[in-house]
Amino acid sequence: MDGEPLVRWYWIGDHLAYLRDLTLDHAVIALVPVLIALLIAVPLGLACVRFPRLYHPLSAVFNVVYALPSLAVFVVLIPYTGLATRATVMVPLTFYALAVLLPTTVDGLRSVPDSVRQAATAMGYGPWHRLSAVELPAAVPYLVAGLRVAAVSSISLAAVGALIGRGGLGYLFIDGFQRTFPTPIVSGIVLVAALALVTDLLLVLARRLLAPWAVRAGAAR
Amino acid sequence: MIRFDGAAKRHPDGTIAVEGLDLDIPAGRTTVLVGPSGCGKTTILRMVNRMVEPTAGRVLLDGTDVAELPAAKLRRGIGYVIQQAGLFPHRRVIDNIATVPYLLGWDRKKARARAAELLELVGLAPELAKRYPFQLSGGQQQRVGVARALAADPPVLLMDEPFSAVDPVVRAGLQDELLRLQSELNKTVLFVTHDIEEAVRLGDQVVVLREHGHIAQLSDPHTLLTEPADDGVAAFLGRDRGLRGLGLLPARDIAVRPLTDGTRQGGWELRLDAGGRPTGWVEPGLHAQPRPAPAFHPGVDTLRTALDAAILSPAGAAVALDKDGRATGIATREAILAALTGPQPAASKPDSPKPDDPKAGSPNPDSPEGQDERPVNSHGR
Repeated sequence: MDGEPLVRWYWIGDHLAYLRDLTLDHAVIALVPVLIALLIAVPLGLACVRFPRLYHPLSAVFNVVYALPSLAVFVVLIPYTGLATRATVMVPLTFYALAVLLPTTVDGLRSVPDSVRQAATAMGYGPWHRLSAVELPAAVPYLVAGLRVAAVSSISLAAVGALIGRGGLGYLFIDGFQRTFPTPIVSGIVLVAALALVTDLLLVLARRLLAPWAVRAGAAR
Repeated sequence: MIRFDGAAKRHPDGTIAVEGLDLDIPAGRTTVLVGPSGCGKTTILRMVNRMVEPTAGRVLLDGTDVAELPAAKLRRGIGYVIQQAGLFPHRRVIDNIATVPYLLGWDRKKARARAAELLELVGLAPELAKRYPFQLSGGQQQRVGVARALAADPPVLLMDEPFSAVDPVVRAGLQDELLRLQSELNKTVLFVTHDIEEAVRLGDQVVVLREHGHIAQLSDPHTLLTEPADDGVAAFLGRDRGLRGLGLLPARDIAVRPLTDGTRQGGWELRLDAGGRPTGWVEPGLHAQPRPAPAFHPGVDTLRTALDAAILSPAGAAVALDKDGRATGIATREAILAALTGPQPAASKPDSPKPDDPKAGSPNPDSPEGQDERPVNSHGR
């Protein structure tokens, strides 16, 4: 790329709509799996706390899934969910997010001090009622912490989907590399970082709203 | 009334927590279970609300075996206070207090109105209602814990070392508050502690436990201090128990010399202000600063307070005050000591059980506070 500047602004100016569409596509591909994973992690986490024997086998399975390289999983899924489809990228990302969210959900539910749990039982909460009314709200700061990790790592991983034809902003990296033209690469990096930053800020804001009592980081007393 | 009828708890691994307990907890009074850690006192407490199910025997609440009642329903009718308060971190103070009313299906407005009443009852400012538990001090959290336990006005209150985690000054305040509340509410209180001072301070009856929930002694606090059942109990009570026992007797029947007979005592003269309140002792003829005049309220303060005042007084006598703080008379050390050996119950108690109460392991004295029905119940074994 000798002599080629890092950024040619005219290219960005000419491709604003294109960059916007890629960013939105990236956000959907990366973040919808995290939401789906949250919807699965909460009931699964509640079940794991209620029936502790479930937790170890489940967490072992998700850990193994997490260890699989994303590209390999995308390729394996192509025959089932299609080439260059959102689903091919989103299904593995859902599992990766679950691998992060299940332990944080379980930790969060277990973070409730014993005295709180006993007080709740002594006042006449049944086991499920107590989990949903006392332990789950108390786990919110943990859930948000898990969501922050899962969302950012999902945003980063989604770019890999470009290798099988659906990776949102990831396509800019392949494009720039193939044409030895750094401007799309730089644009992609900045936009991925911006997307991660905005998502993270929104999550922090959500925690302030949902758990105003957890003012200090990790103050899930 | 709560009755333990041969109640026992054996853990699945074979260890015994409580072995065949027979005990009556009288209604409307405070019963304190006290003993070293591992004596089974918390296990006993939790048998009442079924947080521990006895493996043998029964626990009866007003004649009904608690095992026959649905656990959640039973627990909503029993207040429960624990050491760390156990407040819900995600709920504001007002909603923490209203927990049981909500569970009972009260509407939000009524439950919160009740919670606001309780906040006041336990001596907390109304503006604390909107706070979260982490914004309260340890003592305030514990008060909220008590308010929460009382929210649905349960007849029975279980308290498991509720004041152990706060510093001594705050603890004394909480104990005073509980005594005041109990004098208004007359709940059946079962209180667990490892602190014998707390036990004799709060209990109408005190149950000293050994390992496996065996009852070492069951009596009113004064009898416990003055007549421990055996050396083990005496050792558990610690030093100066005779003197500490004075702290449980009201300063009555002391020969107070009225001020109308003079304000001089042993070369000192008591000075009063215009309202009749004592300002200090002075030596006539000398122009030194007056020395403090320690005082007590007859019938309100304890004999220990009166004796302490007399010991600290330069004139060797305590000043007796009326309820407005005006001096009414002078009580010499000798007069106070005479009251100790006079008609007070500690003086002349027989050591053997009363013949008409063969189960009583220690005699029930004539009550120190004129309550002749201090409960003394059967021992476990």
